[in-house]
Amino acid sequence: MGVRDLLSPFTAWKNLFRDPVSIRDPLNRAAAPRYRGFHQNDNAKCIGCGTCETICQNGAIDMLPVASIATKQGDSGLRPRIDYGRCCWCALCVDVCMTGSLTMSNAYTWVESDPDAFRFTPGIDKKHWDDEELGYHRPAGHQLTGRVRMHMPEMEAEERIGSFAEIVNGYSVDQAKLEADRCVSCGLCIATCPTHMAIPDYIKAVRDGDYARGVALLYETNPFSGICGRVCTHKCETTCAARHEGDPIAIRWLKRHIMDQVTPGQIRTAIGKPSAPTGKKVAIVGAGPAGLTAAFDLAKQGHAVTVFEALAQPGGMTRWGIPEYRLPYDIIDQDVDIIRSVGVDIRCNVRIGKDITLDELRSTHDVVLLGLGLQLGRATRIPGSDHADVRKAVDLLRQATAGEDFGTPRTAVVIGGGNVAMDIARTLARLQKAVYGEVRVTLTALEERARFLADPEEIKEAGEEGVVILDARGPQQVMVENGKVTGLKTWRVKAIFDEQGRFAPSYDESDEQIHAGSMVVEAIGQMTDASLLGDELTELLTWNRGRIQVDAGGRTSESWLWAVGDMVHGPDVVTAVADGHRVAASIHANLIVTEQRK
Amino acid sequence: MSYVPDRSQYPAKKADGTLDIDLTSGKYLKLWQGPNHPGITGNMSVELTVCGDEVVEGKTHVGYLHRGFEKLMERRTFIQCFPIVCRICVPEPDFNEYCYAAAVEELAGIQSPVRADWIRTLILEMGRINSYMMYLGGQAGAFGLGVIAQWTTYVRDLMLDRFEELTGARIYHMFIMPGGVRDGLPEGFDQRMEETLCEMERTLKDVYEVMFCNAVFKKRSVGVGVIDPAWLEAYGVTGPNARAAGVAKDVRKDQPYLVYSELDFAPVTGQDSDIYTRADVRRRDVLVSIDLIRQILAKMPRSGPLMAKVPNVLHWKIPRGETYIRGECSRGEYGYYLVTDGSGYPRRVNVRGPSYTHAMALLERMIVNVNISDVAGLMVSLHTYPPEIER
Amino acid sequence: MNLSDLYNRLKALFPLGELTEQRPDLAFVTLPAEFLRPTLLHLRDREGFTHLVLLTAVDWLEEGRFQLTYLLSNRTQACDIGLRVMIDRPASGLATMDSIHDIWPTAATYQRELREMFGIDFPGSPRIDEEFILEGWNDIPPYRRDFDTLKYAEASYNQRPGRETRDPATHMKQQLYPDTEPGGKP
Repeated sequence: MGVRDLLSPFTAWKNLFRDPVSIRDPLNRAAAPRYRGFHQNDNAKCIGCGTCETICQNGAIDMLPVASIATKQGDSGLRPRIDYGRCCWCALCVDVCMTGSLTMSNAYTWVESDPDAFRFTPGIDKKHWDDEELGYHRPAGHQLTGRVRMHMPEMEAEERIGSFAEIVNGYSVDQAKLEADRCVSCGLCIATCPTHMAIPDYIKAVRDGDYARGVALLYETNPFSGICGRVCTHKCETTCAARHEGDPIAIRWLKRHIMDQVTPGQIRTAIGKPSAPTGKKVAIVGAGPAGLTAAFDLAKQGHAVTVFEALAQPGGMTRWGIPEYRLPYDIIDQDVDIIRSVGVDIRCNVRIGKDITLDELRSTHDVVLLGLGLQLGRATRIPGSDHADVRKAVDLLRQATAGEDFGTPRTAVVIGGGNVAMDIARTLARLQKAVYGEVRVTLTALEERARFLADPEEIKEAGEEGVVILDARGPQQVMVENGKVTGLKTWRVKAIFDEQGRFAPSYDESDEQIHAGSMVVEAIGQMTDASLLGDELTELLTWNRGRIQVDAGGRTSESWLWAVGDMVHGPDVVTAVADGHRVAASIHANLIVTEQRK
Repeated sequence: MSYVPDRSQYPAKKADGTLDIDLTSGKYLKLWQGPNHPGITGNMSVELTVCGDEVVEGKTHVGYLHRGFEKLMERRTFIQCFPIVCRICVPEPDFNEYCYAAAVEELAGIQSPVRADWIRTLILEMGRINSYMMYLGGQAGAFGLGVIAQWTTYVRDLMLDRFEELTGARIYHMFIMPGGVRDGLPEGFDQRMEETLCEMERTLKDVYEVMFCNAVFKKRSVGVGVIDPAWLEAYGVTGPNARAAGVAKDVRKDQPYLVYSELDFAPVTGQDSDIYTRADVRRRDVLVSIDLIRQILAKMPRSGPLMAKVPNVLHWKIPRGETYIRGECSRGEYGYYLVTDGSGYPRRVNVRGPSYTHAMALLERMIVNVNISDVAGLMVSLHTYPPEIER
Repeated sequence: MNLSDLYNRLKALFPLGELTEQRPDLAFVTLPAEFLRPTLLHLRDREGFTHLVLLTAVDWLEEGRFQLTYLLSNRTQACDIGLRVMIDRPASGLATMDSIHDIWPTAATYQRELREMFGIDFPGSPRIDEEFILEGWNDIPPYRRDFDTLKYAEASYNQRPGRETRDPATHMKQQLYPDTEPGGKP
């Protein structure tokens, strides 16, 4: 210890000549651009999925309804209210937000005399930081839930048109688990599903590998899960929370995965035994999804159900309309067998109105339910369309399913842009490939390609299979030469609807094309074949724009007659299933009431 | 005139080596030092039995900061545990985040990306400097030299500004998460960090001149609070406490983690193992860390992923296993022992803070025969942070 | 040091369970409680594992056992070994285990914590009966898995009123399709 140690400390005095380092105005110091400050929520983007509430480790967030925001499809109408007495500003809620609506500003001072004001709903309760641009936003690429869908393996186009084999492979267990892992269980999809399936729960069953529970959940709401797992229109995927910043969960494929993993024995165990017989008899006309779902429910409740099917096999449009490469027949058979197993008697090759009259059914049963579907194809009625080689798509598809050879045309033109048009176009492509070795199918539709009613995957795959798709063209005339159909003349469509919104296509006549074809197929919509009703009954019933009018429970104006499915609501499998449940409940309630009245 | 101490009042030794203290004899005074006392170590206290002005026995008391983190984590999923671990050690929180994230990644079989590892190392070194700055202020303050704390708090604040712009928060960064880190370096960070480091070096020079070349400080710290090198293994002493006793224990060199094997540095050691040497070892350690930060900024990759692909964090399950991840924090060996049981929740998280061994058994051993006035300085020289003792 | 070789050397002397190699430098092995002391002394004095990293417990409630983990480190060889001892978990009262405070004095602190937090007694360990972290605690040892912190918090503290939350799916059902039961039935 020397002189240095005595004098050196005095060097501290040099600070007298330095500027002080105290911040002059601490109250207005701006935080760093990334500072995690107070929350902002873009309430137009927010969908109220509640994932922020789930991840908050302090339980600081509540999801509550807001007066100015209505619940609608894809938006629960709830918005997060954050309790700043609990929040620790970790920003996990911002990281996990499915739409990117929840962000943080870099504001950090808030003075309040009312402590309850510190529970607030960002974006709804106006605050001074609402418009701040700086703050914490989820960094690009920082994802805490998976954003990319597991690719569904399927056949290549060349292999596809070589046969009618199913083109989609289905997920393996590992693939399904990874896809199911992406779900955040918000439940927004449930309201969108017409039959309100317990989607987050069955996705969780896939994650857990608990297929017995999965199939029990499926059968609570949808006895056609095998079919829907392949061909459902998956409206649920349009409201999935994951679609905002990534791909929606492949809900349909996961439903299919569950059905692929279970045995019929497991399904029968899941659905249990029917109740004791009630003695009531129900006749159902049409073994399609609507009729069979109603049959399933009613038979489980103990009623004696007989289903009369005009064609050789049950399934309705799922068998006779949807081609085998989308939906193999043995899947339909499996679903239908389960329905038989609860005691439903399905009689095929029995046409009501021909083999048995409707009056007979009425006299031998307590209730008659019509599930006739939409079996008749609509006609364009353009000149030349009365030729024998101008066919309806539904008829050709029915023949193809039955294995009948309707004379595969060397070239064909399909009119229509919906799923049925794609179905017949791709069926013809396969038949042509088998018979002639090459595909020559042209498809024309009134709509622009982006507005086609068909699923985008169908359009894409049809194109890959060699179907030439021409959009915005309106059919004018079928060209006939020497008694044979040679093609279809079309004009370019300028507009489909007029100023009042009525269906009145207008054309550019100077843009005319002739599409070569020895067969023209109309796939422009379908109608019910209600001829079995007979004139008298048809007069008695009330109709609405060509469809039988029914009440909320599906009952017509005749007290013994109900109607269900496509014939009431238009073509969609899962809507038909939902309708089948609703109508079965209405019938069941009615049967119980009439029993109690006795 | 030379001073001859009167040991007649001093307690005799018993057969097992402990002192024979008869509290009813009137020779002893019980003093309660803590939980708030001069020098900044945190909230813990020592119950001193004093004979004259010499401590004959010390009993440590902790429990003022128990928040029950290890139990809280049993109810939280793995991602939900991540925001709370930083609060276990208040002045140097990043080690918690790193050890927890590394333990989860190891048991889940995930490898954090290279760029994330570089940023993690940068953050850990920044945290180390901050912690040492707090220590230097506390050590000087324990001896009444209050001005040092003013200076070190100032440069600590500058480093907190760097943390703020990098991680989004000043103290509880919540930036190192299982899988990687949250974001990359912002624009202009390198330049502002260099300014901060220069300011730090300038301040450290002032600190050296005013504190370390200070007769009063030297008189009170040289030869005081000696840790016998024989006690190091018995009492689990790690970090600068051990290095000041001549043993070059540094996890960054012994079992390199993150990117330390690519950085050029040597552990700082001292020989005398007293308060002064420990303070000096830490001061020189700051200089090493400043150099490490410069190396990191020069070498780190500026592009690449920041997060590994993790399963959906809302239902992330980790199979049964256990592991221990250690790192070298400013006080010594910091470690997380994590046990998972196949569910989405950790079965057991045990935090091994260096202060757990330093501030309890070691302090009770060292405090015997120490003058009352040196107790505060001694406690601070062990650089204990009580939050990590009782979590 | 190769941990497999170490394991083989130890296995020749003590009845060890299987070795779990977590990393090349970290392994765990289970052994019976009565062989803990000799194994610890052997590792410390003959194999260079002089550093006791931690001593902690894991509550395997569903198996009715506590796992005590003694983690030792050999700094010069840069490796760690964790010794697991499974002890009985009595339905009521304290579990017990031998103290090792004479081997490592620092173990006394860990043992105090385990007694207070898990209810595992280490007879003879210094200050083992004194309150360590908790003051005036009158419930079961809180780190045990059957201690429910949520119930304790709700019973002991007042909640600030005004919290409630809605489930999105249930709320949407009430708003959009209130009259429908699962399966589309009204």
